[in-house]
Amino acid sequence: MNTPILQVRNLRSGYHGCEVLDNISFDLHPGEVLGVVGPNGSGKSTLLKTLTALLPLLGGSVHIGGQDLNKLGARERARLCAVQPQVEAPALDFTVREFVLLGRHPHRSLLGLAAPADHHSTIEAMEWCDLQPLAARSIRSLSTGEWQRTLLARALAQNTPLLLLDEPAAHLDPGHRYDTHLLLQKLAQKKNRAVLCISHDLNLAAEFCDRLMLLGRGGLRSLGTPPEVLQEKLLQEVFACSALRVTTNPHTGHPGVVFAR
Amino acid sequence: MNPAARLLALTTATAALMVMAISFGPTDLLDFASLWKLTTQGAINPDLERAALVLGELRLPRVLLAAAAGASLALGGLLLQAVFRNPLAEPYLLGLSSGGALGAVTALAAGATSVIWPALAGSLIVSALVLLLCRRRMASDLPSLLLAGVALGALAQSFTTALILRFDPGALRSILFWLMGSFAGRGWPEVSLLLPVAVIGLIIVWILHRPLDLIALGGESAHHLGVRVNALQIGSITLAATLAALTVATCGTIGFIGLMAPHLARHVVGSTHGNLVPASVLMGMILAVGSDLAARTILSGTELPVGVITGAIGCVFFLALLTKKS
Repeated sequence: MNTPILQVRNLRSGYHGCEVLDNISFDLHPGEVLGVVGPNGSGKSTLLKTLTALLPLLGGSVHIGGQDLNKLGARERARLCAVQPQVEAPALDFTVREFVLLGRHPHRSLLGLAAPADHHSTIEAMEWCDLQPLAARSIRSLSTGEWQRTLLARALAQNTPLLLLDEPAAHLDPGHRYDTHLLLQKLAQKKNRAVLCISHDLNLAAEFCDRLMLLGRGGLRSLGTPPEVLQEKLLQEVFACSALRVTTNPHTGHPGVVFAR
Repeated sequence: MNPAARLLALTTATAALMVMAISFGPTDLLDFASLWKLTTQGAINPDLERAALVLGELRLPRVLLAAAAGASLALGGLLLQAVFRNPLAEPYLLGLSSGGALGAVTALAAGATSVIWPALAGSLIVSALVLLLCRRRMASDLPSLLLAGVALGALAQSFTTALILRFDPGALRSILFWLMGSFAGRGWPEVSLLLPVAVIGLIIVWILHRPLDLIALGGESAHHLGVRVNALQIGSITLAATLAALTVATCGTIGFIGLMAPHLARHVVGSTHGNLVPASVLMGMILAVGSDLAARTILSGTELPVGVITGAIGCVFFLALLTKKS
């Protein structure tokens, strides 16, 4: 198998002395989509913040592209790893195109004008996220779903081998939610990107992710292919929901989740 | 009109206003015709010699100082509004004006003739204390900074008031002018202090225009895109404090420009800092030079402190903003 782009070993992390994650180890390879699922407060966002150096490591190690995260410079890190954060209201009045172009910042000199490659990546990312018709619109005038696709497009314009996404489809309608997951799968398969994607939608995660990581209180509960992770008893316990049932999607054969009342 | 054309129009308006400010004043030696003669032919007769003196020693340094002060305050306001993601941030939040006033009044009470350096020291000491008090929560925590600025500013103000009581009524007028901001009686020493710093500040801020775009959109996003957020925040606050402290030291306290100039500039060229930095500076220059022109021409035979004019414009501006929002 190819060299992993992300290597995590015995990761410990948390806030103000309160440990949220302990002893997390996994690899993520180019061309792979890893879904991170788990109940609220299980440490999904904490994991993402730790992998992006927003939170300090309390223990263990993280390597991106073979380099120690703690030794990576800010711009170097941004050339290896793009992040789509959770939706926050836009503070300033940029057009969609201007905003997506900001994703090229790690590749540009401080004073240089945008190069043709920057414009190309920007247009490509907008096309992927179905944003071309909105290119000249103000980001303040967008609906939550459109804004979320714009945030994803900025991360894609960064053109990095590793993508870390925090619920990229949370506010999207079913059509765009499906398209977004399909896009992530295509990026992995055709562009050899590695994608780590936090999701609350177990069904879409099972359809489109190569592997799933299930976090619960106390840290990592399961890591493997969707059928390995989506075990009814385990999910009922981790999500504290006895109504949860695991079924099989008759169209794709992938596991899925429904509720029995 | 595209942003470049708008910037050009703003530059032309600023230059025209500066020429107007140079030619208007109590003496009519420097009307447009004399100015034109003086610049094309030199001081060829006694009238033009006197005009050259008024131009070189009074009007030009005054207008340049006003322009530099406007630019410095606008840059300070723009930096703080970007790093705190708050359009109401401005340099005086850091306690600069009260600190500068305390430094200046202390120096005057001690019999000093020049107040520039004590005022600068006062401004920088108070703003350093404010930043020190908030250093752990500086990241995007405007309310903490505001509280610390208000608290230390109030303390400095009460010391200033106690000191002012010691002055005789004659000296009070000049102190009042200094507290309300004025470009009257300032000359080349003040210009040579503030203008280079304003130009260097403008260059630094313009170089940082893209990181400022990113941080204005969110600290976490800026971090993910390779910006060293803490370094940019601390650097921006320090630069804003230095620019505003030098302005307070050379011209006194001139309110509202740091707040209004970036707001007005956003209406003209939009929010991207590549255009917003020069537009805010030009807007600051227009506000300061225009207010000074109004301060010395609005009442015949007497001059108002420039802070009175900027305060009045500020009030109208924010009431208009309020009406628009509601």
